[in-house]
Amino acid sequence: MSNTNETLIQVGDVSRRDALRTIALAVTVVAGGQMKLEAAQQVHAHAREEKKKTGSYKAKLFTEHEFKTLGRLAELIVPADSVSGSALDAGAPEFIDLLSSQNEHLAAIFTGGLAWLDAEMRHRHSAPFVDAKPEQQTAMLDLLVKAQETDRERSAKGQTYEKSEHYKDFQSYGIYAASDLGPGVVFFDWARKMTVDAFYTSEIGIKDVDFRGNGSVSKYEVPKEVIEYALKHSPFAS
Amino acid sequence: MAQVRRSPEEHEVVVVGSGAGGGSAVQVLTEKGIRVTLLEAGPMLDPAKEFKEHMWPYEVDHRGAEEGGAAYFGKGKSFGYFTTTSGGWQLDGEPYTVGEGSEFQWFRSRIIGGRTNHYGRMSFRFSDYDFKPYDRDGLGTNWPISYKDIAPYYDKTEAFIGVTGSKEGIRSAPDGVFQEPPPPKAHEILIKKACDRMGIPCIPNRRAVITRELNGRPPCHYCGQCGRGCLTASNYASSQVQIFPAMKTGKLKIIDMAMAREVLTDGNGKVVGVSYIDKRTREEKHIRCRAVILAASACESARILLNSKSKYFPNGLANGSGVVGRFLMDTVGFGLSGQVPALEGLPHYDTDGFGGAHLYMPWWLWEKHSEAGFPRGYHIEIGGGYGMPGIGSFQRQARKFGYGKSLKEGVRREYGTTVGFAGRGEMIPNNHSYCEIDPRVVDRWGIPVLRFHFKWTDYEWKQARHMERTFAEIIETMGGKVLGLSAAERERNGISVPGTIIHEVGTVRMGDDPRTSAVNGFCQAHQAKNLFVCDGGPFVSNPDKNPTLTINALTWRSCDYLAEEMRKANV
Repeated sequence: MSNTNETLIQVGDVSRRDALRTIALAVTVVAGGQMKLEAAQQVHAHAREEKKKTGSYKAKLFTEHEFKTLGRLAELIVPADSVSGSALDAGAPEFIDLLSSQNEHLAAIFTGGLAWLDAEMRHRHSAPFVDAKPEQQTAMLDLLVKAQETDRERSAKGQTYEKSEHYKDFQSYGIYAASDLGPGVVFFDWARKMTVDAFYTSEIGIKDVDFRGNGSVSKYEVPKEVIEYALKHSPFAS
Repeated sequence: MAQVRRSPEEHEVVVVGSGAGGGSAVQVLTEKGIRVTLLEAGPMLDPAKEFKEHMWPYEVDHRGAEEGGAAYFGKGKSFGYFTTTSGGWQLDGEPYTVGEGSEFQWFRSRIIGGRTNHYGRMSFRFSDYDFKPYDRDGLGTNWPISYKDIAPYYDKTEAFIGVTGSKEGIRSAPDGVFQEPPPPKAHEILIKKACDRMGIPCIPNRRAVITRELNGRPPCHYCGQCGRGCLTASNYASSQVQIFPAMKTGKLKIIDMAMAREVLTDGNGKVVGVSYIDKRTREEKHIRCRAVILAASACESARILLNSKSKYFPNGLANGSGVVGRFLMDTVGFGLSGQVPALEGLPHYDTDGFGGAHLYMPWWLWEKHSEAGFPRGYHIEIGGGYGMPGIGSFQRQARKFGYGKSLKEGVRREYGTTVGFAGRGEMIPNNHSYCEIDPRVVDRWGIPVLRFHFKWTDYEWKQARHMERTFAEIIETMGGKVLGLSAAERERNGISVPGTIIHEVGTVRMGDDPRTSAVNGFCQAHQAKNLFVCDGGPFVSNPDKNPTLTINALTWRSCDYLAEEMRKANV
């Protein structure tokens, strides 16, 4: 009777793998296998050349209007400047749409939040978010940021609605605005969180912060000028 | 009812578990020409498939947030999508329970190599005093062995797996057989300057990473991604460094997807084999052998012993003393970070290094415990540098800087300017911290599961507060500002959740007296001379040194002893 479970297991079929993985296997599996540094470097060049996904994107969850609103938010949260493009350029709306299309909870956060934002903008400026003037859009975001800060300060002091003995008198603590904008605060925190993540995990964002790693070097060295700079600006400057 | 399948083959040594202990047992025994059969509860490891080394976040559509943004809801892979954990805090169909009023999290891997595929690779020897803790402060219990018994095996282990370090002559951190460590990074130089002022030693890190070629393994290429699994095997993982090479000797047979159920004894109480569930078919299988080594992890080995009940061993095998499952310890953990303005505007450079900090701080007050106000010590691990941006990397800045131009500029300014400190300290074993068989719950294989009980005591809380004060002082001495930790957060996060440092040990403790210990100084069961436990189980204390290196060394010593006993026909 065959009993595959008890056969000596071989590390599987390598023909499908790229050079990186083939060479890596040679190191650990082939008897006496050796891998010199040049090979390691070649391997990592291969990894870097892996293809990038391009082309036009069709939203899986959001309506055209919702998707456009996310795009405008992305441009406002991480705008283009002289160093790099915006979160819109980095694919933030696509990222949010993809994940929301796979998760009902996330979908509700975004469709509900976007609807709240439009209702609030219509109420204040008689236009949905994307059609409002840029200064009206930023005024809204400023309010949300401010409200979140107030919320956070209160929370740090333990002054939440539930806990505070001053509940009945809370207007005097300047938190009325926070309560009114509560759903917007939650939504904007999510929109910003995922927009920021989408931007900084993109090629554009990684280049923007000037990340120098994920490489392969034979000897690790810290540039002298870096050490000098750090010491000079520290309390240890002589 | 399905029949149990009994293999007629007589195996020589059966090893249960393929992590640090199982891997070392495989290496040492097959080198001596002894045939080993290795049972692993997970599948074979294929590094080419498993390891995500050098992947950029944008190479996957979800960027690391995982399908449906699972990572945002705390449901992503432990330690992030790109790590090679193959396990987690919860495993489908293999539950554990926690007693009322306790909190405990148990990390288990199910793959060849176990947790060594992704662990931190900190490799610190225990000190001479670590083996005799009771003699020093009257707490806990002494080990039956001393530093000189294990020192030669630390030497062998370090030489074989490759560990970096420097000769320092510090009593709390004995020197070893070291490869050259990489130089410190800029933020680490500032940390060292601060520590110099405070009288804290800050020395080259000791990690199981090779900086020159060793046994055909190429040296580290400094991508800093050890946790993703190393495709060039330049760090220690039992899979790549011990098990794969042993597969070529013809002496090793691997049975994967094999969930050990119990150690089998015959009518005379002699250990004769192992019963396991073949996860692919859910059949129970029995294999016969001359000796058994349990290396399934401290708690899993305790579980197997407690489930190995028979007429001779009504409380479970090797448990005549009743200590199996008792004296469960984890490491005391506490972390604090700070933002350092001196690092703003620093010319960017590659800070990946060899996959962890290049410096660390061993315990420095081993003769000043009365001043410190708690009995045992801790070491400090360092974080910092320009990490590869990932999901969540800049959330603190996002909230701090609002949105727009100020956010983008704020991220650029603060990127790489944060330093972090993690204390890793010794807990005192106590009567409230143990695991036992839950009488009501079995896993999907029908095996009774563990129930955990755990309590930190004042000793650990005081140590954690000392860590906090020390880290804050280091940060401030560097001219930095401590981030976060309000009074409320401290109450909640002031000490690690038990189990989460993943240094759980002590549940099959060793000793000379069969009435108070399960195994002897060679990790050999008092009740069965052909049964050994080679993982964190035999630890009598849990010094502030990460346990893996000591598991490797103890296992090597046990296997030398076992081989000799087999040669003499005593086993």
